[in-house]
Amino acid sequence: MTRSAEVVIVGGGVNGLACAYNLAKRGMKDIVVLEKGYLGTGATGRCGAGIRQLWGMEENIILAREAVKIFENLDAELGFNTFFRQGGYLMLIFDEHEYETVTKTIPLQNRLGVPTVLMSPEEIRDFIPGLSTDGVLAGAFCQTDGTAYPYAVLWGYGEAARRLGVDIRVMTTVTSVASRVGGGFEIVTTDGTYHAPRLINVAGARTRDIGAMLGIDIPTEPYCHEIAVTESLKAFLKPMIISPKKGFYFSQSLRGEIIGGVGDENKESSYATASSPDFLFRFAKVLRDTFPKLGKARIIRQWAGLYDMSPDSRPILGTVDGLDGYYHACGFSGHGFMLSPIVARLLTELITSGTTSIPIDNLSLARFKSKTLTRDPYVVG
Amino acid sequence: MSKTILCHCEDVEVEELYSALKQGYGDIETLKRYTGIGTGKCQGKCCFIQTLRLLDALKSEGENGRPAFAGDVTSIHVPTLRPPVLPLRIDDIVDCDEEGT
Ligand SMILES: Cc1cc2nc3c(=O)[nH]c(=O)nc-3n(C[C@H](O)[C@H](O)[C@H](O)COP(=O)(O)OP(=O)(O)OC[C@H]3O[C@@H](n4cnc5c(N)ncnc54)[C@H](O)[C@@H]3O)c2cc1C
Repeated sequence: MTRSAEVVIVGGGVNGLACAYNLAKRGMKDIVVLEKGYLGTGATGRCGAGIRQLWGMEENIILAREAVKIFENLDAELGFNTFFRQGGYLMLIFDEHEYETVTKTIPLQNRLGVPTVLMSPEEIRDFIPGLSTDGVLAGAFCQTDGTAYPYAVLWGYGEAARRLGVDIRVMTTVTSVASRVGGGFEIVTTDGTYHAPRLINVAGARTRDIGAMLGIDIPTEPYCHEIAVTESLKAFLKPMIISPKKGFYFSQSLRGEIIGGVGDENKESSYATASSPDFLFRFAKVLRDTFPKLGKARIIRQWAGLYDMSPDSRPILGTVDGLDGYYHACGFSGHGFMLSPIVARLLTELITSGTTSIPIDNLSLARFKSKTLTRDPYVVG
Repeated sequence: MSKTILCHCEDVEVEELYSALKQGYGDIETLKRYTGIGTGKCQGKCCFIQTLRLLDALKSEGENGRPAFAGDVTSIHVPTLRPPVLPLRIDDIVDCDEEGT
């Protein structure tokens, strides 16, 4: 059976559902979301939940700042508790090079309206008793950063989208996608075929595979990243603690668990996601080094998910020349949860009006034709 | 009114499971994350099997005003089991790694 739709969205992650909701809110009808597993099967359901404006590039600071503005009112907008809270982010600075960078990025963040402050090791110790400042030269703290429960954000967007008539189909895998003669797309799934004039490709680390079916070369690569969580502990830690140099991050959830991860520079690209003892050892050491008293706490669970890495660790957003009606958002490189509210809004503007309120040309796929890539110094993991 | 606790670690009542099912959170992976069952200290050792029994009993018809389970039988499975098998103290993990290398 072939069904028709105005928009087909491939991927039931946070970006797919947030796009569906925003499009429906703008009055778009006949929106279908196709998800091969349950909602959150991809990176969204595995993610570290961090939302930060502590970035080094103007582009990231602005996107994150606008996303935070949306998060601040998201519960009311969606009628759903997303557990968003602004406990802040504390970035630990371990060497001279990082210190020099942060003395430039804090004024930039402040100029853009992000209230980051520099903290001395003494101030850090007063602020967070028990945190070891061994080797720490300084800290950058942003109070309006925070966390939210990724599944709740996903379900909140999903329920709100459903109320507006969006058809969300779980356990439905897209097996092929092709352009149709005369325009539009044919999307074949394990549960029927769809014809639609617009296709939004937000399949996480599989976005490049869906793109390849249409002849689009998306240069992203999947990397496995792991997380571990401790038993619930009495509340003692409000901000997320991160270190770009050491590649770790962790925070305390509302249930009291310490949850976080640490990257592994030697990892090779792969779609395999497995929990490893190696990660457990490295992360346990991060926690004990940073918070010696955490040595007594127990780790109860670990899991793994995929970062969809782009060549410059910046998202890939927008349209593709010569393919009318095609849109994608991928390459989030470990920070696509925090950006999803604004990414979905910008894609919706692009689809419904052809322009965006924040320029996204710098994030187009076409940028990779140029030899020089610009990177943000604060990609963690 | 008496309450029936389904997951002791996270203090989840049977009624919360029914309420989640009514709202359409029908598969076990989603139920785990929506209600919190199986995410506490015992990691599901006490509650997953009870949850699966309830789902199995509900799958064909709703009884006593309870929702019929929307999912199909094949989706009644134990959620992905995650390591570690038992909670491990961070001190023990770090020390055992340092002794091993
Ligand atoms: C360990 C880890 C920690 C992270 N921490 C953070 C963090 O602290 N902050 C932050 O902002 N970001 C974080 N991220 C990144 C963040 O999770 C992602 O950038 C974001 O969730 C991407 O959302 P998405 O909707 O684009 O993709 P996904 O959530 O991956 O969704 C894509 C969906 O498409 C589906 N799909 C794929 N192929 C098909 C097909 N053929 N047919 C149908 N469906 C298909 C998948 O099943 C999946 O559900 C983290 C990621 C990981 C792995």
